[in-house]
Amino acid sequence: MAEDLDVLDKTRIAPVDSLRRADEDLRLPVVARPSTLPLEPPLVPQVGEQTHAVGLRAQRPDSRDHGLGLTRYIDDIALPGMLYARIKRAGVASARIKSIDISAAEAMPGVMAVLLGREIPTNLFGTSIVDQPLLADPIVRQAGDGVAAVAAVTEQIAQAACDAIKVEYEPLPGVYDAIEALKPESHKVHGGDTNVYAKKVIRQGDVERGFAESYRIYEDEYYTPGIEHAPMEPFTSIADWDSNGRLTVYASIGRITLARVDLSKTLHVPISRIRVIGTIVGGNFGGKNEIRHEPVLALLAKKAGRPVKGRFTRVEEFVASTIRHAFFMKYKTGVSKDGKILARQIRMILDGGAYCSFSETTLGKACILSTGPYHVPNSFIEGYVVYTNKTTAGSMRGFGAPQVCFAYESQMDDIARDLKIDPLELRMKNFFRDGSMTATGQVLHSVKVIESMQNAVKKFGWETQS
Amino acid sequence: MKHRGRGLASMWYPVGFTGYANPSGAVVKVNEDGTAVVLTGTVETGQGSLGVLGQIAAEALGLAPNDIHIISGDTDTCPMDTGAIASRTTYITGNAVRIAAEKARDILFEVAAEMLGVKPNMLEAKDHKIQVQSFPSRNVAIADVSSRAHNGIGTPPIGSATWNPPMVPMDPETGQGKPFGTYVYATQIAEVDVDDETGEVEVLRVTASHDCGTAINPMLVEGQIDGGVYMGLGFALYEEILFDKAGKQINCNLTNYIMPTTLDMPAIDEDIVENYDHTGPFGAKAVGEPSLVPTAPAITNAIYDAVGVRITALPATAERVLAAIKAKRAREQKQIPA
Amino acid sequence: MNVTLTVNGEIRSASVPPETTLLVFLREHLLLTGAKTGCDIGDCGACTVIVDGKAVNACLMLAAQADGRAVTTIEGLATREGLHPLQKVFEETGALQCGFCGPGVILTSKALLDENPDPTTEEIRTALAGNLCRCTGYVKMIDGIHEAAKMMQSATPALPAPEQR
Repeated sequence: MAEDLDVLDKTRIAPVDSLRRADEDLRLPVVARPSTLPLEPPLVPQVGEQTHAVGLRAQRPDSRDHGLGLTRYIDDIALPGMLYARIKRAGVASARIKSIDISAAEAMPGVMAVLLGREIPTNLFGTSIVDQPLLADPIVRQAGDGVAAVAAVTEQIAQAACDAIKVEYEPLPGVYDAIEALKPESHKVHGGDTNVYAKKVIRQGDVERGFAESYRIYEDEYYTPGIEHAPMEPFTSIADWDSNGRLTVYASIGRITLARVDLSKTLHVPISRIRVIGTIVGGNFGGKNEIRHEPVLALLAKKAGRPVKGRFTRVEEFVASTIRHAFFMKYKTGVSKDGKILARQIRMILDGGAYCSFSETTLGKACILSTGPYHVPNSFIEGYVVYTNKTTAGSMRGFGAPQVCFAYESQMDDIARDLKIDPLELRMKNFFRDGSMTATGQVLHSVKVIESMQNAVKKFGWETQS
Repeated sequence: MKHRGRGLASMWYPVGFTGYANPSGAVVKVNEDGTAVVLTGTVETGQGSLGVLGQIAAEALGLAPNDIHIISGDTDTCPMDTGAIASRTTYITGNAVRIAAEKARDILFEVAAEMLGVKPNMLEAKDHKIQVQSFPSRNVAIADVSSRAHNGIGTPPIGSATWNPPMVPMDPETGQGKPFGTYVYATQIAEVDVDDETGEVEVLRVTASHDCGTAINPMLVEGQIDGGVYMGLGFALYEEILFDKAGKQINCNLTNYIMPTTLDMPAIDEDIVENYDHTGPFGAKAVGEPSLVPTAPAITNAIYDAVGVRITALPATAERVLAAIKAKRAREQKQIPA
Repeated sequence: MNVTLTVNGEIRSASVPPETTLLVFLREHLLLTGAKTGCDIGDCGACTVIVDGKAVNACLMLAAQADGRAVTTIEGLATREGLHPLQKVFEETGALQCGFCGPGVILTSKALLDENPDPTTEEIRTALAGNLCRCTGYVKMIDGIHEAAKMMQSATPALPAPEQR
């Protein structure tokens, strides 16, 4: 190939047209050669003379590929004959599907398969409560619910086919606010008599006695909104069957074993016949911890007899993946005159959106952590997650901890100001120490919160500033 | 007029799942030339966890990180792992890798003991050598030991292990239990400028001091802290998914969903608290998620320090801060006796 | 339609539908997958490539608009002699985490350093404002660009000063 290139003298400036002709004449491959890789070894501090590997500022094993653009993310993988899938999203938050007409989509040239929810062997998945359909059938509970899926030879054709699918909806009442959802007369997203689907209670000591003994009691309310993970890499997967009926799914998922279990349950395929390969994930933050569309891709691939790739658009990344739970929090804290926390009563409502996902875990962590890194002898914590017809909330970096930390640390400052105690001193009086007991009765070890404050204060120059 | 303020927030955060089993497995194979391969079912999601696992294996085997190759993310070839979630990789998968590496090392010790004429329990692995404790000059290269184990004795050094953090599930009525193996702690301090005419908040610098147990790779810990402060900044000031009355997202794209850019980032001063947790691999715990937790209250506490208003609903957008400032002025005017 | 352009110093052409973006042209027709599809509407900068010396979002440019121009992608940055200083500094300091935004960030930074060999922190921040990263907080990137700028300046042989002799 190098000889071929020399025919085109690169130093000579030729008009584009003649270059194009020359190019066609030469039938150059359109693939540019990869650059010759540098061979110098990566910078890894060497272990030697009784030094340690732990504690080294060693270069990441993947950083050279990252810098060269050679890291193979899932979207950089293409299998021979691969089709592209698109999912038609409902666009309405609460409705019953009356009819779906896929005839126009199926008739489109280039469309190889169309899939509806009723074709999925078990059209439900979930990490604790199994309540989420892969394709809504017949009830739509959030605007991002998929209602049909298409596999076609290009993404554009798949999208056009989705647009050609006609869905008739019967509008249903909906509930779009977590506090509304608690009311008895509210629309029940999953039927039944309540929208509350997870509850957590933690009690320690006697919170009423604690308040009775308190010098002052503070009651405050806090709110934090839904947040999108927004990883730079959109959610993408490829499904591929071999001729023995074994399924391989390539996916940017952080939990491949859970994905395999969910694939097996939804597709009714034994685990031994499923392989999940987790590709380098281009940002997760909790949003890529469970399956989203993999069984749909697998069924499309089976129907079409070809591998199928599905990549979320950026909008789908927002509306059809999960988000951080919005939190409504009430904090009631009783303190002694010298600033010791005597009792804390916390009530929180989490907006869970349309399906459960990682809500139970999020609620559990939020409740356990809600007292803050402080010794609280009397506590009563109750938390609820409610269904609403909004985007499903799931795991996101911190699992409820950033929300409750916003509440307890805001209130700590207000207490300090009211008691005219330095906010650092107030915290110091209450911080956990080795051997402290948490609200769940766990005795702590390896506690370094005091040291973290001392270090931060010193590095920031807090004392010299005031 | 701009007002400067500073605010502090501390936090605690657990490692792993809430009272549920969340095990990790690992296989460590020492090659004939004294390098090693680690098999893990976790997936690299950007934190650098594979490098960290390599450093843990290297430490246990007396090798350098470069000598370790990691195979990950394949349900057919890799041992079970609960996955890259809940800040658990370094602590839980790391423990599995450490134990698996130690098992492989014990096989090397058996072989080396015979070569050095000592008991296996007198040996240690350091600097690519198996050496007699306190007598490092009596040693034999790991490559030679491993080659002999493979081809001479017939005991290839392969170790496998699983680890699950010790827990007691929580009582459903009282919530009492031991839901986590360990916790990490942190304090962050933010300095802000608040414009009392526009409500605009500019975060100037953040000092973030984190306990993560032993920092297996301090460079990666700093990277996690930087990214956490970034995400906490978005949580504090900009990010919010907006819904219309019919439950549809309004700002569902990166044009309208505001995330911090380079222009919004404060200077970040990272600090790693010296610590060693005896339950973690070589004393390590976690840092991935916790780095974002205290940022938002540190910023809103700084806003209070600057202009005297308490933000109780995030994000603290310019509109919200300005509304709070105006409400405060109105209250103060009422209090002035006529 | 036929599009011919110079990619990483070599002339390439392909016949593509007219609506093909430069990003699709590079990724699907030239199989240069370094530029990433993050949002496809010019918000995130993961698809950044350099066209005639300027950093552009390849998802917003039609392949036809790039006809006859010189395009540099991340694949064309390292040479036989070694890594570009930005690549070297970024890998040594862990400036990239998941790495998905990396090719775009590095090319935006290269375009900046080519135009402004010694940028201030403010100039770096402004140049990178269109490249979103969700992992790193940009901290080690900004430090790394300063470092790379220093390396590139010291690598340039100093001009001889004969008049003093």
